Amino acid sequence: MVNLIKKELALCMHPTAFIFLSFAVLVFVPNYPYEVIFFFSCLSVFFCCMKARENSDIAFSCTLPVKKEHIPLAKMLVVIGLQCISLLLVGVIGAIKGVILPAEQYVNQTGISANIVLVGNGAVLLGVFNLIFFPCYFKKPDKIGIPFVIGAIIVFLLIGLFIVLRWTTPLFSDILNGVNSIHTIAKVLACLIGLLVYLFLTITSCKISMKNFAKVDV
Amino acid sequence: MKALEVKELTKVYPEFTLDKISFCVEQGHICGLIGRNGAGKSTTIKGILRLISTAGDVVVFGNDFYKDEIATKQIIGYVGGGFRCYPMNTLIAIRKAYAPFYPTWDQSKYEKFLAQFELSERKKVKELSEGMKVKFALALALSHGAKLLIMDEPTSGLDPLSREEFCDIILRLVREEGVSVLFSTHITSDLMRIADDIVYISQGRILATCPLKELLGKYKLAHFSSLADATAANAIGVKSVKDGYEGLLSCDTQRLNGVTLSDATIDNIIVHLEKTNVEERYG
Repeated sequence: MVNLIKKELALCMHPTAFIFLSFAVLVFVPNYPYEVIFFFSCLSVFFCCMKARENSDIAFSCTLPVKKEHIPLAKMLVVIGLQCISLLLVGVIGAIKGVILPAEQYVNQTGISANIVLVGNGAVLLGVFNLIFFPCYFKKPDKIGIPFVIGAIIVFLLIGLFIVLRWTTPLFSDILNGVNSIHTIAKVLACLIGLLVYLFLTITSCKISMKNFAKVDV
Repeated sequence: MKALEVKELTKVYPEFTLDKISFCVEQGHICGLIGRNGAGKSTTIKGILRLISTAGDVVVFGNDFYKDEIATKQIIGYVGGGFRCYPMNTLIAIRKAYAPFYPTWDQSKYEKFLAQFELSERKKVKELSEGMKVKFALALALSHGAKLLIMDEPTSGLDPLSREEFCDIILRLVREEGVSVLFSTHITSDLMRIADDIVYISQGRILATCPLKELLGKYKLAHFSSLADATAANAIGVKSVKDGYEGLLSCDTQRLNGVTLSDATIDNIIVHLEKTNVEERYG
């Protein structure tokens, strides 16, 4: 598995996978739907899968001394690693923003503020994307566009839902919004729920992807 | 000992069925997998390597491929034609990603192959010629001490000199290191030079699996002046040629007047047996 992950990093990563990580600094943009940062993470997955297809990576990987089911697992572990870095960066940079900017500038007039609840929301978005994209992709690895478009549409609908919740529910607009130092326990809980949802959806996605890929004719 | 045993390998596609393919490759033998385009050669090889999901069993040096996939793949070297993956990457990047999968990787052996094939690791895959791509695939496959080489049309696209060189390398590996080889190809002249055994596939079914000499000894190529003569002699797969008709005759056929007999090549055998097959299939 370690060798497969190393191979993924050496031969399959599209530069955008790393470049888009830096988009975490978008939390400094005033009044911006910060959940969109996580969409770029999804977009980099699409580019990496495109690169893998153009390089006949799956056919090459299948001839290596590995179990066929480990190939989707390795690819997904790399993506999970990148997604975790993205969540971490958003959390850390958001916290830095909370420290260096006055509270009135910290408040986001578009969606939720760049606090740890945003990390939870992002985790839900990424988990949903993983559940939609990977099982479809590993069923037909040559067809990347359709799973990505479906995944992207759902991700944007969810982003819309989070924005609506921010403006329509007191929970999101008062308690979960604003700097981390106010209503900290509620925010931590929201973040943890988001991370647990991510974990559950991603593990489910891994299992279905491995099962689907075992039946693929390379 | 058998290097490879394929037992009732079956794959059903909507328009093609690989129908219970069974054959074996003896240790230290070169086995040629022959048949026309679409006969099922590549499907068989993909089925053996589990690149496609199939029914049936594959045993490599006594190991069940499906039960012990990782260990079995480590003793197999696969060359699927020229190396066409990662065109934008350098050979060194590919080798660095590939070698750790094989605990028995022999870097000095790999470097020896690179020197012999005049390959520079600093080149990108897209900068290699077709012949160089085959040689790179071969260098990767041979540098981890593979005991069984499985090759899918490795000599297609190679010039005669490179093919000759390729066959020499394979022969040397078999003689010096006891490697066993399953080798699918259209270029039967290569097999005439190096193969010990032949597996002949037609329309997803095995038509013959025997030593090459036995297959060549089964038939004579007969030249007839008229179709009536060919029919009277019960010739197999009769076809019109420039100055008469040609067909295969069983070797034990008694000499006939007005019929010229010559040794049949693998090409002759394939052409005439396939013609009979097509006639039987479509009337």
